Amino acid sequence: MLLADSLTKTFGPRVAVERVSFDVHPGEIFALVGPNGAGKTTTLRMLAGLIQPSAGAVRFRGQPTAGSERTLRAGIGFLTEAPGLWDRLTVRQNLTVHARLHGLPRPDRAVDAAMDLFGITDRAAEPAAVLSKGLRQRVALARTLLHDPGAVLLDEPTSGLDPESARDVRELILRLRHERRAVLISTHNLDEVDRLADRVALLNTRLVALDTPQSLKARAFGTRVRVTFAGPADPHARTLHDAGFTDVRADGHTVSIGFEGAGRHTSDIVRRLVAAGADIEAVEPEEPSLEQVYLRLLKGETS
Amino acid sequence: MSWSRVTALLGKELTDLRGRPGLFFPAIFTGAIATLLPLFIGVLVPAFTGERLSDSTDLQIALELYRQQPGARALEAEAAIQAALFQQFLVLLVLSPVAASMSLAAASVVGEKQARTLEPLLATPITTFELLLGKILGAFLPALVLSLACFALYVGTAALFAQPGVARMLLTPRPLGVVFLMGPMASLTALTLAVCVSSRVNDARSAQQLSVLVVLPITGLLIAQIAVGFVVTVPVILLITGVMAAMNVALIRLGVSLFDRETILTRWK
Repeated sequence: MLLADSLTKTFGPRVAVERVSFDVHPGEIFALVGPNGAGKTTTLRMLAGLIQPSAGAVRFRGQPTAGSERTLRAGIGFLTEAPGLWDRLTVRQNLTVHARLHGLPRPDRAVDAAMDLFGITDRAAEPAAVLSKGLRQRVALARTLLHDPGAVLLDEPTSGLDPESARDVRELILRLRHERRAVLISTHNLDEVDRLADRVALLNTRLVALDTPQSLKARAFGTRVRVTFAGPADPHARTLHDAGFTDVRADGHTVSIGFEGAGRHTSDIVRRLVAAGADIEAVEPEEPSLEQVYLRLLKGETS
Repeated sequence: MSWSRVTALLGKELTDLRGRPGLFFPAIFTGAIATLLPLFIGVLVPAFTGERLSDSTDLQIALELYRQQPGARALEAEAAIQAALFQQFLVLLVLSPVAASMSLAAASVVGEKQARTLEPLLATPITTFELLLGKILGAFLPALVLSLACFALYVGTAALFAQPGVARMLLTPRPLGVVFLMGPMASLTALTLAVCVSSRVNDARSAQQLSVLVVLPITGLLIAQIAVGFVVTVPVILLITGVMAAMNVALIRLGVSLFDRETILTRWK
């Protein structure tokens, strides 16, 4: 649906984005993460047809977009970092102007449908200035989808929202996936990425990593299992060491064991521990947070 | 070009404007000054001092010049001098709508950027020409309405307080040319320049300071009329209007070519 092909952007001598390539498929939520200044917003702006790449290309629905940025902008919904509503205009007026700017044949009908979809019909006559931050973001999302775009770019969609509003926005994003739109999110909220994204790209001017959250976790930390015992874990940790497991960490009543690959090791661990007389209470996969993965990958990139 | 997009943006500008009536205070003030000055000089001062304008040797030159106009010969000397004064100060009236819309136009693009509404706007299929045209018209149409309202007030004042025949002389080709051709075109030039400047500076105050310079030529015209007896005849009006129309076309082309989306989005803070 939307393809970044070796995108590069320089501002004078400064390289903001260097040879970044990925594609976003219909029905996929693709997350772009990275530190401040990593080039996330610049990448989104290039994909939205707002700024020109210095090198590389954007393809939308298989077609190169160079020279036809207006067509690209007509087919893409871009939620900017700030909601960007005209404060003195009502919710309906804000949406109607954008519906008309997109050349929709029946702007009023499109606005009604969007307000209904985002649950803001009862606020239609209120000036944008009086809306809460969460509601402003809803209106901005409604505006982003007014023209029924095939691809949606969301720059920090839950930034600064309270937990309830953020959850509402996440539900709306999941709805976009359900509607088979290609969704690209740029965010610092890694917990959100973990919950929403089908694939994650870690950007730090260049693309550091790109994969599913699970694969990134396995790549950064390998596979880990945590075993909880009824008694102290130290003797059992020694048992596992003696059995050849090198990455074993004991802490109170639990041991955490790391190993490459998956499958056979978990049953092997349990079998050996039971044979050694361990009173096992629980065995569970130990999953690092995406934040840990992010920090490790970024540290590796920096070093 | 899509008129639908231009009118969408224009509608937004006008709706936005309704919530900012204070913007019109400078225009109302300038319009009031322009109306009061000829009333004061041509009607109130002679009424209070008991001296007739036609007795003043200083105003004989104005009378001589004014008598050359068709229709003015039928007026009595006192009425002719009043009519001359009302016509001279019309140029000041032309400044009223420019004053009203200048701050609006100067803030048009940079204001959107500062309010963080520009990026969503640029993310739509709107072209730079459509954007600038919508912004210029959004400032110009209120200016035009104000201009016509000020002129109606001006003619009404002349009809009520000046000698018979003075108001009628304001409805002859020369003053009408000033109000309906030169005035709107001067406003359009000023506003086009202001919008173009607004897209090149990164704060509204700079845009206002730079674009206010366009008022200088109009002020110069006013001074020339009063100080050296320069008469703005119909051919002069047509010439000035034509020059400004050409300037407008050139300015908007320049504005489109200078409008740098990338710089606006990435460098302005």
